[in-house]
Amino acid sequence: MLDLARMTWTFLWLSLICVGGGLGVVPELERQVVNRFQWVTAREFVDGYTLSQLTPGPNMMVAVFVGYRAHGLLGALLACTAMFLPVSILTAVVARHWETIRDRPWARTCEHALAPIGVGLMAAGVYTLARSGVRDWATGALAILAALILYGRWLPPVALVLAAGLVGWLAGL
Amino acid sequence: MTGRVRLSQIVKVFGWIGLTSLGAGRTVYFHEALVVKRVWIKTHEFIQDLTLSQLLPGPNFSNLAVALGVRLAGWRGGASGAAVLIVPGALILLAVSMLYFRIGFTPNATAAMHGAGAAVVGLVLVTTARIMRVSIRRGSELLVAAAIFTLVGPLHVHTVAAVLLVAPVSLWIHRPRRGSGS
Repeated sequence: MLDLARMTWTFLWLSLICVGGGLGVVPELERQVVNRFQWVTAREFVDGYTLSQLTPGPNMMVAVFVGYRAHGLLGALLACTAMFLPVSILTAVVARHWETIRDRPWARTCEHALAPIGVGLMAAGVYTLARSGVRDWATGALAILAALILYGRWLPPVALVLAAGLVGWLAGL
Repeated sequence: MTGRVRLSQIVKVFGWIGLTSLGAGRTVYFHEALVVKRVWIKTHEFIQDLTLSQLLPGPNFSNLAVALGVRLAGWRGGASGAAVLIVPGALILLAVSMLYFRIGFTPNATAAMHGAGAAVVGLVLVTTARIMRVSIRRGSELLVAAAIFTLVGPLHVHTVAAVLLVAPVSLWIHRPRRGSGS
């Protein structure tokens, strides 16, 4: 029971330091669940993270995998709740409060000021993903092809990702 | 506050995203569904919620669902949007985890993930270009975006630190001017 509470607390504070993208918290997550508390082995962690990439929903869903391994269904439930519920409530409070004040001049200034910052963050996300995703000419060509198909609206994003995964598997990328 | 979208529609659209959002760069799914396909929100609103979801603690994707849900239908929109985004994926991963620990298979999916990862780069590139075309109207805004990109991307500065550094400049650029009407 003590370990269950410790695990729930660990996922809770990990969710709180998860700022600016889930990728940044992965090293600390691994350090806690593999090295410090040994809820999963290093191999299981890598497999769990891979599975969370291959299944829908947020990346940090790996908490469910670790929670299930450590404490069964209750562990999965508590890990998932700790990872998503408190930060979701915080986001809802901030977003709702912002709704009530957004017509004030200073709030509108803030919103306008955020737009180029958001674009810059998205561009940085493209850069980060491209560094790991574009490994050679074949993956580069696949990225360009996916961009053209989405731009032309010939396929929805999920079909594109699945088709590219199939191509990667068949071609042994 | 009266919601601009019915709750049932939010459950349907966000739930579908929760079931189908694969790979990295999952915010693309929201942009496609809410801005491109349905026009429920405008690009500048999307970028505001996306930035908020990145600046607040927590996984970006679920934070974005909450922020967009609140914008579209208030508290209930945020709560139901997040629930239907998170729960399907959690149940699917739970089922896969049970199989993994009972049968002991290894997800030998490296090649498939390389293919999917490459496609995701293309998807986020197009989405970013679409948002940029609408959101960047002045050279000074392009400079702000470029500064954030350089700091967070190639220079690996933490997102929050980069935003704290650049935000004052962006606020100054966008300060209300006499006679501007806002």
